[in-house]
Amino acid sequence: MSIIQVENLSIKFRIYHDRSPSLKDYFANIFKRQNQSAYSDFLAVKDVSFKIRAGDRVGIVGHNGAGKSTLLKALCRVYESSDGLISVDGRIAPLLEIGAGFHPEFTGRENIYLNGSILGYSKQQIREVEPEVISFAELEEFIDTPVKYYSTGMYMRLAFSLATAIHPDILVLDEIFAGGDAAFLVKAKARMHDLINKADIMIMVSHDHELVKLLCNRVIWMDHGELVADGPPEKIVERYLVGKINE
Amino acid sequence: MKTDAHSFFRELNNSRNVLYQLVAQQLILRYRRTMLGYLWTLINPLLMMSVMAVVFSTLFKADLKTFAVFLFSAMIPWNFFSSVVTQSGTSFINNEGLIKKIYLPKIIFPLSIIFAILIDSALSFFALFAIILMIGGSLSWAVFFIPVAYILLFFFSLGLGLIVSVATVFFRDLQYVILIAMQGLFFLTPIVYKHDSLAGKVAWLVGLNPVVPFIELFRAPLSMAILPSPRVILQTSMLSIFAMTVGLFVFLRQEKKIVFRL
Repeated sequence: MSIIQVENLSIKFRIYHDRSPSLKDYFANIFKRQNQSAYSDFLAVKDVSFKIRAGDRVGIVGHNGAGKSTLLKALCRVYESSDGLISVDGRIAPLLEIGAGFHPEFTGRENIYLNGSILGYSKQQIREVEPEVISFAELEEFIDTPVKYYSTGMYMRLAFSLATAIHPDILVLDEIFAGGDAAFLVKAKARMHDLINKADIMIMVSHDHELVKLLCNRVIWMDHGELVADGPPEKIVERYLVGKINE
Repeated sequence: MKTDAHSFFRELNNSRNVLYQLVAQQLILRYRRTMLGYLWTLINPLLMMSVMAVVFSTLFKADLKTFAVFLFSAMIPWNFFSSVVTQSGTSFINNEGLIKKIYLPKIIFPLSIIFAILIDSALSFFALFAIILMIGGSLSWAVFFIPVAYILLFFFSLGLGLIVSVATVFFRDLQYVILIAMQGLFFLTPIVYKHDSLAGKVAWLVGLNPVVPFIELFRAPLSMAILPSPRVILQTSMLSIFAMTVGLFVFLRQEKKIVFRL
């Protein structure tokens, strides 16, 4: 069974005030003590701890810049923790940015293989899901056309179909219910729900509080990188909305 | 540390498919929608080297055919080495979008570059080898040493490429420094001239140049039809091991910081 454990997690970013350090600066700074540093450290996630067990459907709420996406990316190993521990047990799917790694010059089919491999699918797996991905994206006619000629909707449909083609143990979502026309949206939502139902663990970041209440059985509220509250969706979303009004 | 190395190689093994796709991407994209397509990979170095052969053989009053073989045999390792070092510099920067969105073992980016260059280099080697035979180069058993030479050159270049790829993320100026350094190094490497002909004040620079024995490694079997001397083989093996050790050390220590500095 899948399990996620996060202990005292902190993620530090270095914010450069003017520009990235050049070789010249580096050597100049060896010899002269700096009075003011060219950068400052910024903690996007501060000392966060939680444990997610199989069956948990976790929604993360908080205003912009609260560290929600950074936390998700840390779970997917994009960012290394500066402090603390993350342990993830189970196959995790990086559904953070759909279509990352698509190459505009490649045809739809070539992108299925390229992007599929980036998503961690084996060649065998990609070959198996290929026909289903193409028919779900309704791109049979254009699958051998370079994706730079695709419309935004076509592009989104292909990326979505591919990213959701294989069922992961742990599903990580960052606001991706967009793309495509009304008919496709209905289909996509059904597929998404199916994916969520089959996953051991689902973690999502969303500003759509109704959706969070609908899909999640637990909500984590983050504010300025800190975990403020963790509990049942109705209660936490309520508190979060009130908190925002009082600010 | 032992488990680190273990998981590093296991992860690399699991990423074979991505690596394959990234290499294919580079090879396919370069000449897509051009009429001659992949042939450009062969035409480009062949034309370049032919011009050089004509110019320098006239300049040095050497026999064109002999000089062409002499030059080609050194240009193959040089082009491989300099392409790897210069292109590694941008391997992370060019894939910033991907690195910031999805976790992939970082080493596959410089690796994909070196494999793509290796394939190009091997193909142009076959083309040049055909030409060497046609214009009367001597064919000998020593040619079978070439794969070994490639392996040694591969690890030497990869080691340096790893250092450059990481260092460029931290110091962006390095991309330009390396371009200039490579031009300088070209002239300090006995490619268009014989090893002993650059005498005088700068001779010691050639002596320090680590690329020199790798040139010998290719030149001996191709141009002189003999095996490289044991001294050269030993030297290049040591250099390869040293470059790989330092390269992996630097890479593994800085790997996790890369995403924060892109």
